[in-house]
Amino acid sequence: MLLTRKAASQAVAQSRLSGRLSGAVAKTMDRRTFLKRSGVGVSGAAVAAQLPFSMIGAAQAKEEQTSGRIEVKRTICTHCSVGCSIDAVVQNGVWIRQEPVFDSPINLGAHCAKGASIREHGITHDSHRLKYPMKLEGGKWKRVTWDQAYDEITKKLTDIRKDSGPDALFVVGSSKHSNEQAQLMRKWVSLWGTNNTDHQARICHSTTVAGVAQTWGYGAMTNSYNDEQNSKSLLFLGSNAAEAHPVSMLHTLHAKENGCKVIVADPRFTRTAAKADMYVRTRSGADIPFLFGVLYHVFKNGWEDKEYLKARVYGMDEVKKEVMAKWTPDKVTEACGVPEAEVLAVAKTLAENRPGFIIWAMGQTQHNNANAVVRASNILMLALGNVGRSGGGCNIYRGHDNVQGATDVGPNPDTLPGYYPVAVPGSWTHWARVWNVDLAWLKGRYASEALMAKPGMTVSRWIDGVLEKNDAIDQDPNLRAIFFWGHAPNSQSRGLEMLEAMKKIDLMVVIDPYPSASAAMFAKVRKDGAYLLPAASQLETEGSVTASNRSLQWREKVIDPVFDSRTDQMIMYQLAVKLGFADQFLGKKDGKQNIRLVKGKGGMDEPSMEDTLRNEINKGAWTIGYTGQSPERLQAHMRNQHQFDVKTLRARGGKDAKTGYDLTGDYYGLPWPCYGSAAIKHPGSPNLYDNSKHVMDGGGCFRALFGVEKDGVNLLAEDGSYPKGGEITTGYPQFDHVLLKKLGWWDELTDEERKEAEGKSWANDLSGGIQRVAMKHGCHPFGNAKARAVVWNFPDPIPQHREPLYSPRPDLVEKYPTHDDVKVFWRLPTLFKSVQQKAVKDEMHKKFPLILTSGRLVEYEGGGDETRSNPWLAELMQENFVELNPKTAADRSIRNGEYVWVSSPSGAKIKVKAKVTEGIGPDTVFIPFHFAGWWQGEDMLPYYPEGAAPIVRGEAVNTATTYGYDRVTMMQETKTTLCEVAKA
Amino acid sequence: MRLLLAFVAALGLVACGEKEQVVVYKQGKYQGKPDNRSWDNAPLPAEFRGGEWKQGDRTSWEESVKTRQLAQHEYRRIYQ
Amino acid sequence: MARMKFLCDAERCIECNGCVTACKNENEVPWGVNRRRVVTINDGVVGAEKSISVACMHCSDAPCMAVCPVDCFYRTDDGVVLHDKDLCIGCGYCFYACPFGAPQFPQAGAFGLRGKMDKCTFCAGGPEPDRSEAEFRKYGRNRLAEGKLPACAEMCSTKALLGGDGDVIADIYRERVLRRGRGADLWGWSSAYGVRPGAQPPVQQPAATSGKS
Repeated sequence: MLLTRKAASQAVAQSRLSGRLSGAVAKTMDRRTFLKRSGVGVSGAAVAAQLPFSMIGAAQAKEEQTSGRIEVKRTICTHCSVGCSIDAVVQNGVWIRQEPVFDSPINLGAHCAKGASIREHGITHDSHRLKYPMKLEGGKWKRVTWDQAYDEITKKLTDIRKDSGPDALFVVGSSKHSNEQAQLMRKWVSLWGTNNTDHQARICHSTTVAGVAQTWGYGAMTNSYNDEQNSKSLLFLGSNAAEAHPVSMLHTLHAKENGCKVIVADPRFTRTAAKADMYVRTRSGADIPFLFGVLYHVFKNGWEDKEYLKARVYGMDEVKKEVMAKWTPDKVTEACGVPEAEVLAVAKTLAENRPGFIIWAMGQTQHNNANAVVRASNILMLALGNVGRSGGGCNIYRGHDNVQGATDVGPNPDTLPGYYPVAVPGSWTHWARVWNVDLAWLKGRYASEALMAKPGMTVSRWIDGVLEKNDAIDQDPNLRAIFFWGHAPNSQSRGLEMLEAMKKIDLMVVIDPYPSASAAMFAKVRKDGAYLLPAASQLETEGSVTASNRSLQWREKVIDPVFDSRTDQMIMYQLAVKLGFADQFLGKKDGKQNIRLVKGKGGMDEPSMEDTLRNEINKGAWTIGYTGQSPERLQAHMRNQHQFDVKTLRARGGKDAKTGYDLTGDYYGLPWPCYGSAAIKHPGSPNLYDNSKHVMDGGGCFRALFGVEKDGVNLLAEDGSYPKGGEITTGYPQFDHVLLKKLGWWDELTDEERKEAEGKSWANDLSGGIQRVAMKHGCHPFGNAKARAVVWNFPDPIPQHREPLYSPRPDLVEKYPTHDDVKVFWRLPTLFKSVQQKAVKDEMHKKFPLILTSGRLVEYEGGGDETRSNPWLAELMQENFVELNPKTAADRSIRNGEYVWVSSPSGAKIKVKAKVTEGIGPDTVFIPFHFAGWWQGEDMLPYYPEGAAPIVRGEAVNTATTYGYDRVTMMQETKTTLCEVAKA
Repeated sequence: MRLLLAFVAALGLVACGEKEQVVVYKQGKYQGKPDNRSWDNAPLPAEFRGGEWKQGDRTSWEESVKTRQLAQHEYRRIYQ
Repeated sequence: MARMKFLCDAERCIECNGCVTACKNENEVPWGVNRRRVVTINDGVVGAEKSISVACMHCSDAPCMAVCPVDCFYRTDDGVVLHDKDLCIGCGYCFYACPFGAPQFPQAGAFGLRGKMDKCTFCAGGPEPDRSEAEFRKYGRNRLAEGKLPACAEMCSTKALLGGDGDVIADIYRERVLRRGRGADLWGWSSAYGVRPGAQPPVQQPAATSGKS
């Protein structure tokens, strides 16, 4: 998919090359000069004028092996959640080379375009990074000092806080922060006194986490990319792994080579579909009909795993009754467009090839009923008996490199680190203890106790927090200030309205290695009110990162923060100092201090990342087992990657040469849950809910989170279903001090443990004793229960298909309408049915007859400004485009490569190039979402700070996307809306 | 007859423009272009993550490279 | 005796462009020069879409070498085809001759200058002292002289692109073919002697049955 403008790009090449020559050679050369210089030995100037020029800046590496100190730092790619290892060769503080790490069990040395080019982040010559703090003055970006920026920002914040309270600030945190930074971010926001914080997970997998956790306990990938090698079938529904998680395809294709059946169901024939054994074209937004259509055939032919269902699943009979009645083949085909024969073929393949995975990413998650869609996927896998075994389950492919970690311990509006809900007072008690912060003081920081317990607004709706009428929002002030701390704006829908919000907001601060489209959008409509603070990338600091398979990997710092950037933890600390909560930020109280200060760039203090992991995350996140992954264990794993088996992720033996740590039995990266303290050496859990293993061996079972019984039906696991070697051979509830005492195991705690564990449960016992003793007896701390096929506390206990708010089929809208409007939802009024009904009434499906869907490209990541500033990547994808079916194009007289206007019900019109391909059906069009920098046809280059605009700019598809949110998590409905395409 | 002789003479010249197909490394030059042979270099220090071979020994260099090449064969790493 | 080759396994190539940027990174190739690129044929056609990574194939009987008027090409003992940029006059004949489009020129335009030809060197540098700064600036990295293999092949995301000694490549590829139960759809008997893939919508490949599960 290489769309290039050769001539223009050559012009760029000229100026870049000659720019570096700094006058040594004429910018152009006439024929005579050329002939004079060529062919006669080595003429320095001729060589310089035409040849690949070194991009290394001032500190040029000379004879590389002789001069300067050479170090190799092992880090992890900062782009996607696969977590590929990189060996960075650094000389004199300059990153000169990168080498593949063949030893890594996760990527085996492989990289995609982004990982293979990541060294560009350390190149200071001709960099498009945000280099120094900037302030918007008179509509232009002016350079300021850090101190001036801090002073002005904190003064403005303090004024806003005085006038409107702490909830007037929204801090958009980052899925690209390390675990330590993400945890500190959640703490920072709590110390400020608001729950108005969020990060990319909201618009990525928030529906997954909610729906999957409510089914069986944890909302994460059940197994790992590696475990696909043990699968017999893989169903990709809503994932284009070849472009979004390329290195995961190493495992997938290896599996396929060894007999695994690969099925891809997608509205587009993607690069992933090209590798499938079977491709099924579905309609975007009609996933439940497809999934339940498959389930219909599974039930009809008796292919479900009856033993498994009886022992481990609640409510499948109810689901079966509904599916058999409601999702007959005719209804399925009517709703999703897939013929019965294909649906049956999929069902048969999955049934005959077990264990198997269902794999998804945004294709399932970005819909108004996505919380139900993901549950339908869960139900299918449960019916087949695939969950809780090697080779089977739900392989959920997370997006950004640390979106998993940021979701687990980072800035969520409704939870504290470790998913402790803000609505439960016990969560605050727990974290106040861990953070060594006075609880009363912490409560005083919030506008009220009610607001402290109320989940905040979400990043998908911050614009409404600004624009909505004040009496309609569920907090006192509207939002007056926003921090974009490592998050782009063009990944959120309703771009037109975002521009309006930027017009109105008092203060915007962007803290990012790149200005991002936020800077350009703001400068387009405002003269002042914004600041840009250059943050360092994850390659310029150390910390741990959690890959999609829940393994934690430790990054070493490769180079110091470049230009005038500072690490995120330094910025958080310095702002905390200015705002008056520095001590609480470091957990300094009563002679104890959680986090020491270490010397960072320029000799300035910053919080220690190792201390954050060891003394806060490891001490507090008991619910998800982030307690065993100490920095020492993780670093030992990184030094000894070759010891870990690729299929099982387990180390068969080995001792770390540096520390003597014994690796035997550990799973790579100690995938959470790694229960208990580091001392008890839990090996991590590579495959969740796997009761073929002892709990101290990585085994598990479904979580007892939903009670002991429902309507007389036992919710705990049946007799005989328990993790191997467990002393209790039937279902049991969560472990707390009461249960331990009842079982007579209370005395096995040490004196110290007993003191702490009194009155506590497995989730808030800071000694870890309850977990230790439970596991010693082979019992799982979170209980042993059934998975729920019926989630009674959700809007749709059994997943229901609901048409997208902007649907091309009014007849189906009538049959499968969306939810009712909600007056208050995550502090904001949220519309569902009224939007859908209005769209039907206004006949939007006639004015905008094409389904607009969006997705990923392999060359770029996320909002895209970072990757579009990398020349090696930017060259590969220079224009935003829309994929059109040949019929769609022909009907509109559009030729391949022409500019077209894509318009949507939002009123926006975006200008992109047409790519005509058979890969997409005649009813759908696709636009990648990574672009920004054009606004409805206008190049926004003048609005970026000088020298910091991305090389490639294009329309953001989200400028045109429309209103639509998930009923449980406020996920945006970006996968399905309507549009029309016309020649430009 | 003369025509035939001329024709044969012309044919004989046909191969004159052809380059030598056999690689010849003489006096540090390949067909006149100066270059080192890979194995004549000393192996790099360990930080560069390169191969190990005896300087000047072609066979040990080839062995080192072929061993490294097996890193592209993921079956080796998976079934090790 | 090692003979260096590339092979891109089209059954695995997903057009991730990792090979392309690995080359750019390692050799600091400027904008506009594509030593390696990935080609996808039959984009969007069910059953026929294939991707393959293409760069200089280091031919045994290289056409570029045959046509060069200043004889700037040479082939090393390992079979790597390199050239001398100091002798190159930028005439572009090698570009005409190469069936893979490997020769690249840093400057463009109908009446503009081509500049010195640049191409994939199999990460083996050029006619400058191995691992010197001059060699890096003119030709890119010399990984063979470090006992390594080309960056593109070592970093391929799915191990589709294999680079190195031809015998080892053959061993690796043979194992894959045996496990798959069939050769590549992209080349081979069927494209040489039978129906070419993509000419008509082909029948979906029958699922491999023997010796698999």
